[in-house]
Amino acid sequence: MTQFKAYSKMKELMTNYYIEAKTTQEKPIAWVTSGAPVEFLYAMDILPIYPENYAAMCAAGHQSVELMEAAEAEGFCQDICAYARTDFGADITQGGPAAGLPPPHFLVCSTNICKTVIKWYEVVARKYNVPLFIVDTPFLHDGLTKELINYTISQFKDLENFLTDFTGKTFEHERFMEVLYLSLEASSYWNKMLYLGKTIPSPFNSLDTFIHLGPIVTLRGTQKCVDYYKILYEEVAERAQKKIGSIPDEKYRLLWDNLPIWFKMKRLGEFFEEKKVTLVATTYANSWGRLGNSHGEPINDPYATLAGYYLNVYINLGFEERIKYLAQLIDEFSLTGFIMHSNRSCKPYSVGMYRLQEEVTQLTGKPGVVIEADQNDPRVYSDAQVETRLEAFIESMESVSKIDSSPL
Amino acid sequence: MFEPFHKVVSNVAGTVLKHEKETGRPIIGVMPAYFPLELIYAAGGYPVQLWGNQLPLEKSDAYLQAYCCSVARSVLELELIGGAEMVKAYAFTSLCDTLINLREIYRRLFPKPTLELSIPITRTVEARRTYLDSVVQNVTNGLEEITGKKITPESLAESAYLYGHSRALQRKLYNIRMGKPGLMKNYDFYTAIKTGFFLPAGVYNEMLETLLDQLENQPAPIGKRPKLLLSGMVFDPIQIYKIIDELGADIVDDDFANGWRNVSKQNLRVENLVEGITEFLFNPAPCCCLYNPDNDRHPYLLNKVKRSGADGVLFWYIKFCEPDAFDRPQLLKRFKKERIPAGFIDIELSMTNFEATKTRINAFCEILEG
Repeated sequence: MTQFKAYSKMKELMTNYYIEAKTTQEKPIAWVTSGAPVEFLYAMDILPIYPENYAAMCAAGHQSVELMEAAEAEGFCQDICAYARTDFGADITQGGPAAGLPPPHFLVCSTNICKTVIKWYEVVARKYNVPLFIVDTPFLHDGLTKELINYTISQFKDLENFLTDFTGKTFEHERFMEVLYLSLEASSYWNKMLYLGKTIPSPFNSLDTFIHLGPIVTLRGTQKCVDYYKILYEEVAERAQKKIGSIPDEKYRLLWDNLPIWFKMKRLGEFFEEKKVTLVATTYANSWGRLGNSHGEPINDPYATLAGYYLNVYINLGFEERIKYLAQLIDEFSLTGFIMHSNRSCKPYSVGMYRLQEEVTQLTGKPGVVIEADQNDPRVYSDAQVETRLEAFIESMESVSKIDSSPL
Repeated sequence: MFEPFHKVVSNVAGTVLKHEKETGRPIIGVMPAYFPLELIYAAGGYPVQLWGNQLPLEKSDAYLQAYCCSVARSVLELELIGGAEMVKAYAFTSLCDTLINLREIYRRLFPKPTLELSIPITRTVEARRTYLDSVVQNVTNGLEEITGKKITPESLAESAYLYGHSRALQRKLYNIRMGKPGLMKNYDFYTAIKTGFFLPAGVYNEMLETLLDQLENQPAPIGKRPKLLLSGMVFDPIQIYKIIDELGADIVDDDFANGWRNVSKQNLRVENLVEGITEFLFNPAPCCCLYNPDNDRHPYLLNKVKRSGADGVLFWYIKFCEPDAFDRPQLLKRFKKERIPAGFIDIELSMTNFEATKTRINAFCEILEG
């Protein structure tokens, strides 16, 4: 793992975010999914809380098992997404690094990451007896259409009405635009930073980007988020310019598909370093950079821009688009191969992955491997099984991979 | 009485091929759940419902992980082993994450056309109406392309009548079961319902009418046996009903997606198809897969238990079905509060050993008998 100076800043930001969440008396609390259009909430001075982020923190801190067991004791079986079980457990026990999340006043759930979140949030809505607003973003089997954009825009406008009714405040369009530009700016820095992974050697390992995801998930739409990613970008850019690699002797450059295995970050980091592997691109971390692709151009139609962004999430795309995107990343980042995490807790990401792996390899000529794991549940993870599979994969690349070290 | 139904269910391929030949209609495989069969029939197709099967899962392992439900895995297995050659196209709904991605797998693996009725689950009414309008347009266009025939107001009205009538007849069968527990064996009852997955509605309706005539005026058996209400997505594997029959329990009602949740649907209103399909999807029975707080499952199921006179509720859990799994703990808690005995059994469609299931059901029945 790369030691970035910005890390302490991020830690401070996230600590302050959770302190505010736990102590605020003024701001309404909304529990939201990671793909929810949070810009509307920040524009109304509502504090969005991300159970997914909290679940990941619990697993990274090796606390997820006891929390999941608490949820399972209440009947939530192990077939259910481990993020949801971790959060249910944290809610039951008031456990995890922040001693539970503050109770929600309402919930906003967007289906662009999965349909499972509807069920998860239904459970929460029933428990707390709070309203649940769903932004339905249908799966893009055949790309983005005008009908899908309009459908999503209509729901955004309804969300505005819901927030207005809930808070008793007027929805200030100017404030919303400020938040939107801040969101876009932070995403742009994040995206620019991620694309520095093209540099050979890569100035970061994608495992680092998973660690640094916290603010773009939780704080996008705020000035402090922009400030943070500017600092991070500048630090990484300097490393890229000086050709300081994440590891001393980068031999293999790989893509990681799907969520991280939060409870194995350190061990996998060491494993990859020892094998001279750098993870340089991920579909997961990239998901929060897609809004930043508009290069700071003026936004003429904010609703359509946001609708396009929130619909066009990687795991909401049909396989044709996913294959193209993966092939594009493999090409642009000069990758030697790719790792796909078949994640028991994330069906939209994982179901169909075996076929995707075959097709991407056929298209690009680059080898890929699928490992069976889970984002949050160490009980269904085997170090030996995963590492043996990865070792065999890395050995298979030995004969075929030669990094093209031409400058960017 | 039930022999003709058993014949269909024990020879699905032969039955379906026979009717395909007789009707000249292309077979459209219908994936779970709630795709209005009326649209397929109105377009000149022959809808055959695929709710999974009991094939050993071998080839599908190359495409679907073990943590996918056995419904998705077994349906894919059927196609991969060439058992679904007669199916010309597939109709999906956006019921759950697995089925959404399964459609993508089909598109990559097979040349057969696929359609999806994307179910809008927003509470923004106008957005839902407008979006569903475009979805229905795409679906009907797609069906017409597959069959080469146009959907007309007449063909829609005819199919709405036929399939609506099937469900009305099935409801009569449900009512007889509820009113006269034990009159029909549980195994016979679900065979009769399952038969409807595979037959053209007209043929099925005649069989049901004959059955209902035979059942009319038959007295309810005497004696008290445990009365069960089952809840889950799919009522298979059907062999388990033989076990329940052996254990001497009577199922008096159910809440299966391919049982009462579907059977309870009224005739599809075709004069305004978008409104008709909205009503069809979300009412009258709530489903764990379709968010609809206006039709909450908790009071609905409590009322159902009361109405049916069931002594207890058994959740019939198809492993890895997340929508069902999320609802269960809170429902169990609610039943406990209302002093309604409730339990659950884990099911895999591919299971071959039913001993553990038998023990569990038996234990539950003993609780009910006090």
